[in-house]
Amino acid sequence: MRVSLNEIKKYVDLPNNLSDKQIAYDMTLRTVEVDEVEDVSKKYHDIVVGRILEVKKHPNADRLRICITDIGEDKPVQIVCGGSNLYEGEYVVVSKPGAEVVWHGEGEPVKVEETKMRGETSYGMICASSEVYLSDFFPSTDETEIIDLKGIECKPGDNISDIVEMNDTVLEIDNKSLSNRPDLWGHYGIARELSAIYNVPLKNLPKYELDRNLPEYHVEIQEIEKCHRYVAVEIDGIYEKESPIWMKSLLSKAGQRPINAIVDITNYVMMIVGQPLHAFDRTHVSGEKIIVRNAKENEELLLLDNNTSKLTTDDLVICDENAAMALAGIRGGKKDSILPDTKGIVLEVANFSASTIRKTGKRFAEKTDASIRYEKGIDTQRVDEGVNLALRLIKEIFPDSKIVKYKDTYPNETNKNKIKISEKFLDKRLGKKIPREQIEQILTSLGYELSYNNGEYEVIVPTWRSTGDVTIKDDVMGDIARILSFDSFEAKPINITIEQPIIQNDITLDRRIREYLSYSCDFYEIYTYPWIDEKYIHTAKIDTTSSLLLATPPAPELAYLRSSLIPGMLEAIVKNLRYYDEFKLFECAEIYQKGDYRPSSKDEILPIQDNYLTGCIVGKDAKEIFYEAKGIIENMTRYCHMESIKLEKIEKPAWADKNAYLNITKDNEIIGSLGLLSVQTMTESKIKRTNVAIFEINFDKLVPYNSRTNKYERLPELPLVEKDLSILVDKEVSWKKIEESVKSMAKEVEFIDEYKGNQIPNGKKSITLKVRILNEGTTMTSEQINEKMNTILNTLDKECGATLRTE
Amino acid sequence: MKEKLEEIKTKGLEKIENVKNTEELEEVRKELTGKNSTLSEVLKSMKSLSPDEKKSIGMLATEIKGVFAENINHKEKELIASMSVLKEPIDLTIPGKKVTRGALHPITQMRYDLNDAFLSLGFEVYSEDDISSEKYAFDNLNFAKEHPARQSMDTYWIKGTEEKEGSERLCLRPHLTGGSVRYLQKHGAPARFVYPGGAYRNETTDARHERAFVQYEALIVDKDISFSSGMVLIQTILEKVFGRKINTRMREGFFPFTEPGYEIDMECLVCGGKGCKVCNHNGWIEVMPGGVIHPNVLKSAGLDSEEWTGFYINIGLDRLVMMRYGVDDVRLFHSTDLRFLKQFK
Repeated sequence: MRVSLNEIKKYVDLPNNLSDKQIAYDMTLRTVEVDEVEDVSKKYHDIVVGRILEVKKHPNADRLRICITDIGEDKPVQIVCGGSNLYEGEYVVVSKPGAEVVWHGEGEPVKVEETKMRGETSYGMICASSEVYLSDFFPSTDETEIIDLKGIECKPGDNISDIVEMNDTVLEIDNKSLSNRPDLWGHYGIARELSAIYNVPLKNLPKYELDRNLPEYHVEIQEIEKCHRYVAVEIDGIYEKESPIWMKSLLSKAGQRPINAIVDITNYVMMIVGQPLHAFDRTHVSGEKIIVRNAKENEELLLLDNNTSKLTTDDLVICDENAAMALAGIRGGKKDSILPDTKGIVLEVANFSASTIRKTGKRFAEKTDASIRYEKGIDTQRVDEGVNLALRLIKEIFPDSKIVKYKDTYPNETNKNKIKISEKFLDKRLGKKIPREQIEQILTSLGYELSYNNGEYEVIVPTWRSTGDVTIKDDVMGDIARILSFDSFEAKPINITIEQPIIQNDITLDRRIREYLSYSCDFYEIYTYPWIDEKYIHTAKIDTTSSLLLATPPAPELAYLRSSLIPGMLEAIVKNLRYYDEFKLFECAEIYQKGDYRPSSKDEILPIQDNYLTGCIVGKDAKEIFYEAKGIIENMTRYCHMESIKLEKIEKPAWADKNAYLNITKDNEIIGSLGLLSVQTMTESKIKRTNVAIFEINFDKLVPYNSRTNKYERLPELPLVEKDLSILVDKEVSWKKIEESVKSMAKEVEFIDEYKGNQIPNGKKSITLKVRILNEGTTMTSEQINEKMNTILNTLDKECGATLRTE
Repeated sequence: MKEKLEEIKTKGLEKIENVKNTEELEEVRKELTGKNSTLSEVLKSMKSLSPDEKKSIGMLATEIKGVFAENINHKEKELIASMSVLKEPIDLTIPGKKVTRGALHPITQMRYDLNDAFLSLGFEVYSEDDISSEKYAFDNLNFAKEHPARQSMDTYWIKGTEEKEGSERLCLRPHLTGGSVRYLQKHGAPARFVYPGGAYRNETTDARHERAFVQYEALIVDKDISFSSGMVLIQTILEKVFGRKINTRMREGFFPFTEPGYEIDMECLVCGGKGCKVCNHNGWIEVMPGGVIHPNVLKSAGLDSEEWTGFYINIGLDRLVMMRYGVDDVRLFHSTDLRFLKQFK
């Protein structure tokens, strides 16, 4: 909504020396956020009234004229102009050098300069309305038509912004921010807020004394739950004409295009009091009767462009004896149009229920200025304000008009809410004691009526806040707090009483694991979207039978919600391979699957949602990155203080290479996997010239320790003897077998290296291991050491067919 | 003989003096004091001398040997003191060896900073799942039946449930607030907890708008607290995050689940409050909506609104992180782009 401060000042005398910016700031803090403060006069600088003294032929151009023009300066100036309606004595709009105009009404503004046109000097230009932002005031029929100010009181040199009343500031407010305040959808409502903010009186809206003895217009409301009030006024002597400049000016500033006086009056009233109005051409209403009813089955509404709108029996329509004339509160049809032959009107000022308008409006997917207001819930009393203001304006603009019939059908009045609030409640919730006079002053200025009795206020909410906005005492407390300004309350410290220590091991484990991966293992954490590109679900070979889909996905290929973090990781790998050859990424996030999960109540059945962790290592050497990933998982339990997990080869993940995968298990349950990406998955995902090791773990299955668990070990009194052994074994012999066979004979066995190369016979491999041996109680002699090493070698030979490798 | 010894001494000392390094010195030591040294040769050839001569020459030779040893030791000390582990000087301007370490996502880092701050204020950390129901996302929170946020233009509903209602209509949570009722139903009051997480809304994206964003919400429920306590909380948090006092303002705001509701703006750190593109030229950035918990929400949580009250604050982590580093495009957070993520080590 766009609010004119000049208009506001008609209803409230704001304190002196208050800048427009300050008004916007105070409103932002207390009522609603003002998005922009726009000085609407700005664009009219250096645009003035001129009077053409002489029109001469241009010596070098047939279509151009030279106009000697008085622009209120010492001497008349010469302006070259191609306008089709130039004459001597004409009052025109002149853009002086320095003004900013829009050439032919299109594109960005351009600065006017003193130039030569075909050899003749031109001091600025004589303008058409679209060039100088005046289309709303002086609509033109043809591009070459310049503005003729005939009939408008002005003199050469006058600023055009004064003539069209554009020396004003407009506050721009996002409609969304006003959705909870139906009372603010007109200038008068905003004026009321400012009167409360600055504690200055609000002026009354103009009244109109209606002749009570008029004959009745026939109105029948069939749906009193949907139409709470309907005022119909038949007026003679109304015809199509332009509205006065001041009215066009306000409409223009409010973002409404002026059309003709009667339509403009209805729009103007809506902009001031927030009450929509409608005018029907009197002769279009067949049978001089208005019926408010539900649409019939298959009924249609004829529109101005001769198209029709299909209606349903839920839609409320305004009808004459024969057919629907308008969709109540939303839009009119052909019959409500004011046309050149209009001689009289029936004016509708009505109240429709918010839910009706919302429902029908939603189906038509169209919001109008009227429907936006109705769907917020307007009080029925506002009809009076609308009628009064409209009739006054009609009398002013059509002095010869005459009201011939009138009818107010009022089945359903908005009741004022009554709320009791104790002083104690206010003191406690506001955090300080506000004097009674101040509370009374604030609430009264917002339109509340209130009485005080024995520590309790009884508050009567004004009708314009009683349509759903203010219903409970907390709402009233909120009104007091905001008008005082939330900022004016002293910040109160919060008391901390520690009853129990906060121990949240699962939260701590989550953090430990992320920090372990980032800080110890060189990974970068990524965030992906919960919806994933179908392409990567396919390349990762993820089964989608139990996956969930979005009803309205961001894009057709993004409908699946992730049931694994792998596809998202694949996409991230592909993206980053454009810039990096080697990197490590991880993500912790939820995955979803169809299922039965009831976290809060029996009736709420949610899908299964598990926290997962996935990580990848991208690098050329497949074997190296595999063991690196394996090491990261193996060491995780120790570094992150959690119960142990195991790595076993049980079941190949769909995306993994057949020769390089392991499952992560805990208590004999598979809780994740680790492996190299298969050639197929990489090829299909377009991951080229590199390899990827990936792991994925169900985070929720990891169990944190409550505290540190490892026991201190006494330092050995005797030195450990450390020996490296390089042995030759068959390729098929696993490290695990070698380790198992030596374990019982040594204090520690450590893998050092595996080697298959030129010097190693075919079918064999070399393994280097380190053993640490120790004799309980005594230092080992070299004989004892040799003896022990021999036993180890013999065992290795017997169990694994190992021979000591000779250099 | 004596002259010969004197000559050995002079030459020997000269040799020691001219030694350049410790290896050479070892050579010289062998040559002058070893078994095959000239001095030894001299002593060996003493057999032909008289006992007196033997004695005086012997003494002289021993003395020279001592002088040699002393000079060699002295020279050795001198050499060690001037020695370097390097054969030749190195280029000190070559950069040092890189430390490789990854990084947490900048939003996770902010989350942990806030967790630390809130833990010190006695808040528990709670988390709700991504997928929730209309009952928890809207009904419990006092959203009107026809509130536009319930439409599929705003909220991501799960296919197959979009036409259902209440607990059967499932969605990616559009905000975190639904989690507050879950927590309160389970744990009751008094309560003070934070619940960070992702929220999702059907939006058109641009540099300032995302479909997936990360929020950090805090809730206190207690007796006898006023909304102005929220101010302290917010100031504490901002100070913790930015390391200095940040100007804030608290203004009117409307949310179905609060009464009264407020918006908390912080001064724009990009322009210092003067007005710039990031703050839409008004000098303030909306970072934290909040407000007093609406009685109807307390009712859904099974709490008596006459007895209990409390307030929310909701921190838009994306926005806060954007302020912290001057990030100008919110979409970068979900871009998975390492060129971006590597900046937050």
